[in-house]
This record gives sequence, C-alpha cells and structure tokens, in this order.
Amino acid sequence: MARENSIEVDDVVRDYGSTRALDEVSFGVRPGGLTGFVGANGAGKTTTMRIIMGVLAPDAGQVRWQGEPVTAEQRRTFGYLPEERGLYPKMRVAEQLRYLARLHGADGTQARRRSDTLLERLELGGHGDDMLETLSLGNQQRVQVAAALVHEPVALVLDEPFSGLDPLAVEVMVDLLREQVDAGVPVLFSSHQLELVERLCDDLVIVSDGRVVAAGSVEELRRTEREEYALHIAGHVDLGWVGEVDGVRILDKEAAGEEQVVVFQVDRPGAAQDVLREALGRGTVRELRRRTPTLAEIFREAVA
Amino acid sequence: MSGSTAWWRLVAAREVTTRMRDKTFLISTGVLLLVVAGSIVLTSLLGGRPPSYDVAVTDRAGSSLAEVTQDQLRAQSGDDEAKVTVSEVDDVAAARAAVDDEQVDAALLPTDDGFEIVGRDEVPAELSSATQSALSLTSLQANAEEAGTSVEDLTAGSTLREDTTTSGPVSSDTAGGIAFAMALLFFLTAISFGIAIAQSVVVEKENRIVEILAAAVPLRALLWGKVLGNSFLALAQVLAVALTAAVALLIVGNLDAIPAVGVAGLWFLAFFVVGFLALASLWSVAGSLATRQEDLQSTTVPGQALLLVPYLIAVAGSDKMIEVTSFVPIASSLTMPARLVDGDVPLWQPIVSLLLAAAAAALLIRLGARWYERTLLQTSRRTTYRELMRGNRDES
Repeated sequence: MARENSIEVDDVVRDYGSTRALDEVSFGVRPGGLTGFVGANGAGKTTTMRIIMGVLAPDAGQVRWQGEPVTAEQRRTFGYLPEERGLYPKMRVAEQLRYLARLHGADGTQARRRSDTLLERLELGGHGDDMLETLSLGNQQRVQVAAALVHEPVALVLDEPFSGLDPLAVEVMVDLLREQVDAGVPVLFSSHQLELVERLCDDLVIVSDGRVVAAGSVEELRRTEREEYALHIAGHVDLGWVGEVDGVRILDKEAAGEEQVVVFQVDRPGAAQDVLREALGRGTVRELRRRTPTLAEIFREAVA
Repeated sequence: MSGSTAWWRLVAAREVTTRMRDKTFLISTGVLLLVVAGSIVLTSLLGGRPPSYDVAVTDRAGSSLAEVTQDQLRAQSGDDEAKVTVSEVDDVAAARAAVDDEQVDAALLPTDDGFEIVGRDEVPAELSSATQSALSLTSLQANAEEAGTSVEDLTAGSTLREDTTTSGPVSSDTAGGIAFAMALLFFLTAISFGIAIAQSVVVEKENRIVEILAAAVPLRALLWGKVLGNSFLALAQVLAVALTAAVALLIVGNLDAIPAVGVAGLWFLAFFVVGFLALASLWSVAGSLATRQEDLQSTTVPGQALLLVPYLIAVAGSDKMIEVTSFVPIASSLTMPARLVDGDVPLWQPIVSLLLAAAAAALLIRLGARWYERTLLQTSRRTTYRELMRGNRDES
C-alpha cells in the first residue's frame, strides 16, 4: 500500500489573509481510477490543486505520494493543467511541447517523440510548426492538454480539463484520460459539468466552503444515501397519506399524465413495504422503485 | 535530471533562441551596428582625409620646392599621407590658366626674389604656410652652404619637444569620445537587455504559463536561466559592437586608436558583466511585480533610474563626481571605464571598484531572487515595491 502510486491530501489548511480557504482537507486519489473533484466556485478546488502541485504552500497538513510526503523532485513527474491556461503565444507548438518535456527531464529524442505522438493523437499533426497564437482557441486548448501530458506523467492534476473544449475534443480528452487511468496513473480532475463527471468518474470528492463534505467511490456515495423511493399510482388520488406512515418523509409529489407520483424517503426498515401495502389497498399501483440519486442530487445534498 | 544546471541551461537557451528569432531585436541590433560603423567612417571622411594639393610649376626649381612643400605639409598636418602633386607646364601663362580652370589648386611661379604662389579665389592657407616653410628652409639651406655652414648647425638648440602632463594613451579629445561611447554603450545595452528580462518574465505571467513552469522547475533555475541567457546576449551584442568598430577603424585606416582602447576596453567588459548582473535580477523582479506588459512602464522605473543617473554623471558630471561614483557599484560600470580611458588611474582603484561591484551584485542577486520567488505567482494584480519591502505575503 505504501508504495502504491496514490496521491493523499492530508489535513491541508490554507488561509488567505483572515479567510480560511481550505479547512483540514483530506482525500485520496488512487491509481487506476478517475477522481472527480467538484464544488461550487470558490469552494477551494483550485487552491487544493495548486497545493498538490507545490505551486502554493499549505499552512498546515501535507500532500503524500506513495505514502510519503511528496518531494519537489516527485512533483515534477506529475502532469498539471492549471485553471488559468496559457503557453508561449509566440513559440511554435511542437517546439513548445518539446521545451516543456525537456524541463520535466526528457532528453531531446524522447521530447520529440512524445510531442509528435501527442500532436497526432490530438489531431494537431499539421500544426507543429505554427505559432501557438495563430491556432484557433479550441486547438490552443488541445495544445494545453498536450502540455500536461507530454512528459508521460505518473500522476495527473487537471483543473477544469474540459472547459473550453469542443465536443469532439472532449471525446479525445476522455479517451486520453481513460488510457492514463488504465496505465495505472492516478487522475484528479475538477469540473463543473456534473453529467460529465458522473459519466466518467470512479471516485468523487465534493468540497464546499473549503471542507470536504463527501469523498469516496461513486457507488459508495450512492449507496450510503438514505433510501428513496418513487411510487406511481394510477388516477387522480390524494397521496397525502403517504407522509403519515411511520418513518416516511415525502420529498416530492407531482401529477404525471394519468398518474400521481410521490417521492419519499424512509428511515425505518420495512417502511417502504408498509407504504406499498397501504397503496395496494387504496388503488392501482403502477410502480414502486428504489431511486439512486443522481450526482447532482448527491452534490446538492452534500453542500446543503 | 542532473541538478538544476540543466534547467537553467534549457531556460537560457530558450531565451537566446527566442530573441534571435525576434525580428525587432535583429533589426535594432543591425541598426546599432550600422550606426557604429557609419559614425566611424563618416568621422574619418569628414575630418580625417589627408590633405592633398595639385600644384603647377614651370621649372625644376618649382618642382623641388613642391617636393619640400610636401614634407613640410606632412610635418605640419601630422599626416604622413599628405600629398603635393606636381604637374609641370610650359610657361607662366599656362600655369595661371591651369589654376583658373581648377585643374590645379595653385601654381608655384619663380620671381626675382623668390617664388609667387597663385590661387584661383584664394590660396589654401595650409598649402601657403607649408610652401612658406619650404621656401625658408630651401633658401636657408642654400645660404648656409654659401656661408660654409649647415642648417643643422644654424638651428642647433632650437628643437621644441611636445609632452603632456597626463599620461593617457590617447589625447583627451579622443579619450572623451571613447569614454562617452562606452558610457552610452553600457547604458543602452543594459537598459534594452534589462527590459528584455522584465518582458520575458511578464510574458510568462501574462500568459499564465508560469504556473506550469513553477510546477516543473525550481523558480530559481528559471530566474538564472533568464538572467544568464540575456547577459550572454547583451555581452554578445557589446562584442559585436566592438568588433564592428574595430573593422570600421581598420577600413578607414585609423589603427592607432585600437591598442589605445584595448586595456580600457577589457576593463569595460569586466565592469559591464558585473554591472549588468547586479541589475539583472532586479529587472526580473520588475517583471514579476507586473501582471501585464503595461505594468512594466512603472515597475522598470527604479532600474532605469539606477542607470540614467550614473550615465548622466559619466557624460556630464564633474571630474570629482566621476571619481566618487567610480567606486559606487553599478555607477562604476559607467564611470570607472571612462576614467581608465583617460589614464592616470592607479591599478588598485579599478580592482577595488570591481570587487565592490561584484559584492553588490552577489547581494542584489540574492535579494532579487527572493523577491522574484515571492511575487512571480501573483498573477491577479500588480505588486508594488513598497509591499515587497514590507514583506507581505501574497494574497491571490
């Protein structure tokens, strides 16, 4: 376990003046998994990522790699896509990537091979000799992604990697990230696009006001949510009685076409069965379904 | 990677190649070299052309007088290339006609009691004076022989030697010119490459690449790469200027000036390197304080002032001011070489001055590196020097 390629953020605290930006933030990013990092604006995602990359120092706590406090040397083998994008506008694309690869320790041949391969993968093969500033914004974003990957990083920290990418580039990016994950690279990425996070992530970290409010595998987070059910009954009947069953709380009631739907939450084993029995006695039950909350719901619940 | 050596080398190499591809930089360097070569050639064309006259004579006496006149002209003008070209014509009328047609500058015509020199509108004063000396000398020689003695005996004890109280290798006019040129060269090069350092830093901040770089290499390696890359370019430009000047002097044939400047020139290079390095890290701080190119106008003011004031002292200050400032680091890079060209500076003075400047450079580089590291990642707003002094932590 100790030698495993995982990033652990341990009780990290960071203040900006009198404001506490991060309050004992702890979570892990495991290899072979894609970890989504979500939170409202200003929740502390970027600050956390900058601390992981060593661009910013924590006031307390530490970042660990393979179980030990991460060294500057090790951090240089990480790949980083900062929130604020940017490369040299007046430098040729391929040359730029080679330069960054070499700064990360690649030799001339490796740098050339990797930058060529990535440009090809990102469908920028014909733009290697162009000045970055002459590329379209979408293509500049792709180069930015290449810059984070060009030194074959052992871990990836990506701040909003999908923002600014066109739908095609998003798919290319997803493939690239999956490849990295399959190769055993721990990947942490932040995003506002919850559907995308839901589709991609294996693990999830939710932050709110500088605190981690939920962390774990997506499965886990869904399971540990309280039990929720949706009951569909034919006809226009009053379903207010559901709320009177012991251990049941109504979350939502609505009419959908020819049926009534009530969404309720139970905090007593067997309560759902009681509701069903009662419903069968009162009318025609079309459906009773256990609901798994969507990521958006988990998120809303967590930050509430 | 093998230590931070490789990092600063990569950074420095990028600085150099980026600049070498920058058209503005190439053009301005080309213009600078042209101006240097042009001003040397032009000065020589305007002031340095050896005097040369065509004179018409009618007989052998005239010819031999013209020959002696050439010697006198050379002695008087101090120019061994001075020339008096003789063309023999048939008679006085033909000689006067040649003058009138401007085929010759003057005619040397025999008279009863000597010679007559004839010009068109006027007789060139230089030629007239040389001819007068030549005539006195030849008649003195003839008269002396007749009297059974020689010119040497007659003029014994009349030798006048020239000496100067300062022992500088070149005349004070030339020294002044060279000192001015060196001060200007340091001033211009230090300012332009200093601002280039600041710009190179702010480009990385403005385009946010600095965060990627900061995650990849130690900030200090980034700073060193920039400083050394630009110092290398600055030194290369100075050497190119020196080489151009030497070639231009070679072309116009004024070789005497080269060895005279030599030793002072080597001191100049030493002071240049130390003075430039002392300021270099402060220029990078000027860049790291800024967040956009526009901010450089205000953040580079201290650097510009640190160069402008000593420059003004070097070109217009009193001897006393120059002497005092030649021991003040950075200012000494402008004023000490000027004093050295002028000569009469004990060897210990430039050595002490250079050591002081080197110590100051070491201190400023440490301070600059600290300020640079503290402000570089502050990309949201401009930091002020006052905040730096107070040592506030950045709040991003």
